[in-house]
Amino acid sequence: MGFWLELAASGLITGGIYAVVAIGLNLQYGLMRIMNISHGEFLMLGAYLTWLAHTTLKINPIVLLPGVAVTLFLVGMVVYRLCFRRISRSAPTVEVIEARSLLVGFGLMFFVQNAVYLAWGADLRGYSFMAEPVDIAGARFMANRLLVFGVAVAASLGLLAVLRWTMIGKAVRAMMQSPTGAQLVGIDTSTLHPVVFGAGLALAGVAGGLLSMVYEISPSMGEPYTVTALIVITLGGLGSAIGSLLGGFLLGLVEAFGMHFTNPSLKMVLSYGVLVAVLIARPKGLFAR
Amino acid sequence: MSRSTLTRMRGVPRALTLTVVAGALLAVLPWLLSDFMLSLALSCLMFAALAVSWSMFCGPTHYLSLATSAFFGLGAYVTAWGLESMPYGLTVLAGGLVGAAFAALIGVAVLHLRGAYFAVITFGLTELVLHSITYVEKTMFETAGRIISDAPENAVIYWTVLGITVLAVATAILVRASRLGFALAGIGGDEERAQTLGVNARRAKVLAFSLSAFFPGALGAAMAVRWTYIEPMSVFNPFIGFQTVLIAMVGGAQTLLGPIVSSVFFSLLTEFLRLRFPYAFLLVLGILLVVLVLYLPGGLASLFVRRARPHA
Amino acid sequence: MPEALLSARGVSVRFGGLTAVNGVNLDVHTGELVGIIGPNGAGKTTFFHTLSGVLRPTEGRLIVAGDDLTGRAPHVYAAHGVARTFQTPRVFRDMTAADNVRFALEFAGRLRKHGHDAFDDVATILGFLGLAEVAMLPAGALTPARQRLLEIGVALGARPRVLLLDEVAAGLTHTEIDATAQLIRRVRDELGVAVIWIEHAVRVLMNTVERVAVLHQGAKIADGDPRAVAKEAAVIEAYLGEEGDSARVAA
Repeated sequence: MGFWLELAASGLITGGIYAVVAIGLNLQYGLMRIMNISHGEFLMLGAYLTWLAHTTLKINPIVLLPGVAVTLFLVGMVVYRLCFRRISRSAPTVEVIEARSLLVGFGLMFFVQNAVYLAWGADLRGYSFMAEPVDIAGARFMANRLLVFGVAVAASLGLLAVLRWTMIGKAVRAMMQSPTGAQLVGIDTSTLHPVVFGAGLALAGVAGGLLSMVYEISPSMGEPYTVTALIVITLGGLGSAIGSLLGGFLLGLVEAFGMHFTNPSLKMVLSYGVLVAVLIARPKGLFAR
Repeated sequence: MSRSTLTRMRGVPRALTLTVVAGALLAVLPWLLSDFMLSLALSCLMFAALAVSWSMFCGPTHYLSLATSAFFGLGAYVTAWGLESMPYGLTVLAGGLVGAAFAALIGVAVLHLRGAYFAVITFGLTELVLHSITYVEKTMFETAGRIISDAPENAVIYWTVLGITVLAVATAILVRASRLGFALAGIGGDEERAQTLGVNARRAKVLAFSLSAFFPGALGAAMAVRWTYIEPMSVFNPFIGFQTVLIAMVGGAQTLLGPIVSSVFFSLLTEFLRLRFPYAFLLVLGILLVVLVLYLPGGLASLFVRRARPHA
Repeated sequence: MPEALLSARGVSVRFGGLTAVNGVNLDVHTGELVGIIGPNGAGKTTFFHTLSGVLRPTEGRLIVAGDDLTGRAPHVYAAHGVARTFQTPRVFRDMTAADNVRFALEFAGRLRKHGHDAFDDVATILGFLGLAEVAMLPAGALTPARQRLLEIGVALGARPRVLLLDEVAAGLTHTEIDATAQLIRRVRDELGVAVIWIEHAVRVLMNTVERVAVLHQGAKIADGDPRAVAKEAAVIEAYLGEEGDSARVAA
């Protein structure tokens, strides 16, 4: 019993992180058709910020998270302003926006990854934080992982609540459903776009900060998360925040149980197998009606 | 963009002649260049062929395929598995055919997806093939990678890659002038409309996608011997696919010359930056890429081609 | 009566719980000019989508020239001689006007000959529509009215046996609408094809066609001579439900 609980929990914990990373990317895509392939780089940036502030200033990393979120939010506004605004405005069709934003994303990926590499080198960095075991219902967890899970779920649910109940959230959802309709009722994309882009990066930064509490970090840590986020988005449906949340948990569980029942070296085959199967059978996502 | 079939056909013999002449001129390079310069030329040729074949399908249809690495890697593995029992030339041909066959297979399954979906699934399929081959090699052959023995001389590899490149450019010229090319342009413009006008869109897309995958497959098989040690991670490197897309789109995937010019430009630029800024070169490349996309969205080709447009 | 060229038998289309087209039967013969009218949301365009293979009907069968094409892809319909226009012109914007027509000739049109020289090449089709001077312009740069004409030209390039016209006169001035109606008659007269024409501007349509079918809430409520149909109680009822349209029928 305890074993299965641990297995399920480890799947959900990874899944929680996947969800946070994916929701941000999915909002950006759903709203602006920006497929930001450098999303994981900003996660990595969040991890480095947390690590740097914690090791130099000796501040508790949990306290740092809001600061990381705000910093990444601002970074996101700037990146949007410098790179993506021009694309959104000048591209004639949605397909062109997707293609160009993908290319710009590659450029940003090269840039951010190598900037961090130049600044701190390729070595793994890390610190120990709340690395003591906790027993719950006969299962044993590391305290920091539980914390990570809690914050990840809280951040995801918080965002869903914002989307559901606030004015700006309603505006975002309206824009995703009908861009022209939303503009007709007076929703202003010139403020909404940078805010949502910034929010996406803030979520990625928080995810990075959380990861730095559990794993060692390196400049190339972000890339796999971009890929995973793409998988999760596909599972949950492009543009659907709640789909990403569920998709994140699902992928985490599939990975955890799949590896247990088959073979750890099949992990990647499993994830991509799921992705390919879903895309072929249900291209609009598992939860699409 | 597309002219009448007649005018398009008119340019074809000239373009083909030019391609063959350029190929013949480039064939003398192994006698003229140092090893270093020759390998630089080889990388230009490889990316030119990759970008031209990518644009063959993705240019007119506006599909965004990231599967180039899959075709390339499969080709490389054809060489890795077959070089002991087959001559080099045959493995190259087989690599191309395997690439084309794989593309036809996935094409049937996924070409109904568009936009970001198609990009994601082609990327996912590449990774799936990579990890499947890793798994097969580990469990069935108990090996992580393979050593390639008796590789042909550098000059032979160069001529082979040159041959593939010339073939790719010639094919691209012919496709553009053909009914298939016309159908692809229609599909890119409005697929459903093209269908209601009698185009079997599915067949045209699978055919063109498969044809365009022959070249990366053959290139993978040809280039595999450049590495002495082959492992899935290196030959299925998604970077090969990314770089191909990048070169094609920066060059202008709608044009024929754009991807060629851009592959030379990028290969040389990458090399120059690597030598000049050994640490910061990817960083500089990143900035350059962003600037290029933002301020030269029509691709490098738009610098040279002036669009003739009669007044309205 | 000879066998129908195009025959829709009990065609229904449902989207979830909504029934857009409800058991419609329609037989059209070579050389007929049939109009389809109906209030907004009556299912006219949805019905056209099924006739051209763009949408698969939930129920019912479609037979073109004796072959059951139900569930086949649009290009099969095109190969059987069904050509259509779309309400919003869907020309290939990046191609020249000439290449748009050539595209149709090259694919659907390749399989047939009109047997009428006037419509057998790009130049004459564009000339017939008065588009000769813009032949080499990209279609996307043409005015909306000209794009509508080009849309008809593209359908003609497919060398149709059945021509489906979906609101080709929408947004045109009165003079332009009359000209379009004349043009449609000429196409039918000179090529001898069957034409099915959906139009919102009921008056002109009623004066042009010899037979009209009325769709209301997805079902066919009348089918026959325009004057007789206009008098039928069910038709008046359907149009009185929508004030704007009832005025137009009366007019």
